[in-house]
Amino acid sequence: MSFLLPKLTSKKEVDQAIKSVAEKVLVLRFGKDDDPVCLQLDDILAKTSHDLSKMAAIYLVDVNKVPVYTQYFDISYIPSTVFFFNGQHMKVDYGSPDHTKFVGSFKTKQDFIDLIEVIYRGAMRGKLIVQSPIDPKNVPKYDLLYQGI
Amino acid sequence: MIKNAVVVKYEAGEHDQLFWCLCCKREVKRHLSHGSLTVLHGGLLQHMASLEHKKEANKFWWENKAEAKLKQQFLISPEDYERFKSSLVKALDAYEEKEDEVIKEMASHIREVEQSRQEMVHAVLEPQTGTEFCDESSAFSTPGGHKSDITIITEEQLGPSVIQITPDLDWMEGNHALTFIGHQESEGKGNVHTGAKPPWLLQDEEEFGSKQQIGPSYEEFLKEKEKQKLKKLPADRVGANFDHTSQTGEGWLPSFGRVWNHGRRWQSRHQFKAESSQERDSQRKTRKRPKSELQ
Repeated sequence: MSFLLPKLTSKKEVDQAIKSVAEKVLVLRFGKDDDPVCLQLDDILAKTSHDLSKMAAIYLVDVNKVPVYTQYFDISYIPSTVFFFNGQHMKVDYGSPDHTKFVGSFKTKQDFIDLIEVIYRGAMRGKLIVQSPIDPKNVPKYDLLYQGI
Repeated sequence: MIKNAVVVKYEAGEHDQLFWCLCCKREVKRHLSHGSLTVLHGGLLQHMASLEHKKEANKFWWENKAEAKLKQQFLISPEDYERFKSSLVKALDAYEEKEDEVIKEMASHIREVEQSRQEMVHAVLEPQTGTEFCDESSAFSTPGGHKSDITIITEEQLGPSVIQITPDLDWMEGNHALTFIGHQESEGKGNVHTGAKPPWLLQDEEEFGSKQQIGPSYEEFLKEKEKQKLKKLPADRVGANFDHTSQTGEGWLPSFGRVWNHGRRWQSRHQFKAESSQERDSQRKTRKRPKSELQ
């Protein structure tokens, strides 16, 4: 599944993607290709990427290869998915403690498609933070541990 | 028809048919149906056996002077009707037996399928060593979300219990062990929660030279794109040879049309020229002054 989606392997490539993807939601999946939950998520991303091609661009990033980003986004659980629009980091309120990224996999393809659509519409209207349309019970639960922030 | 009553499953379209009884001058249901079963031609027989119909038939024959022999064909005597009823009872029993058989067959099929599934589960359990049953079950993933079914069964060690349709929410509980890759310690650097500068805006690592090159070449590239689009347009369209860089004076638009004037057009044009020359002179004068001051 992960061989169907384009990958970014260096900080420079990630920078390039963030700066160059225009008028579409940029989806960056931070994780590892062989992790089971990542595989689930990658499957959903691969299946929906064609249908969402006009609204979103999806890339996979290995957390070991871009330590700068892993630290900046405070990625402790994988997979974590971060959304951008026109170079701007988009925050989404999923009902979880962390709005800067989506941790875990989606339950259905439709959940992911709905989320992308909400982010796209919010971004078109100038919103930097949107409300997630996914049912809170379908959002994976995890413990967020703050480290002396 | 009387001897062999036939009982079938009820089908709405077919079994609601009515027939017209000439004698009684009304429509009667042809088949008798109750719940999910139908007795074919039951309604017809029932009607023809009734007293009311007998009376009507007699009347009909008397009025229309029809042959009496034919009348018998349109009536059903009570004895015949009794015979029909008994055969009906037999037919009902036979039908019920058939239904039971079908149900038993389905049940045995379901049991077989369940058996095969159980065997597979046991086969999975045997080679496994560690506690990472998540990985094992993911490698063995059969249709859809049965991953969670297997993990739940192994956890509780239920034997022959049939948990085929687990609630969909269990997929999350089975996989709640998201891989933890450690706290991201970035003392002094800050992260997204502290509002630090994002890595993609940091320009320290980029070479200064490469940045210089990227700028104009991108603009040139866009211009090239536009030019290519223009080339695709037909070459003999209006204005294809329009020189965008030529200067235009004031007189190119007929902007001297006065509104409230009486008189000829050249007069308003003359007036406009005079006014514009005056403006030009005054502009030149104002421009000249600062120059002279500098000097």
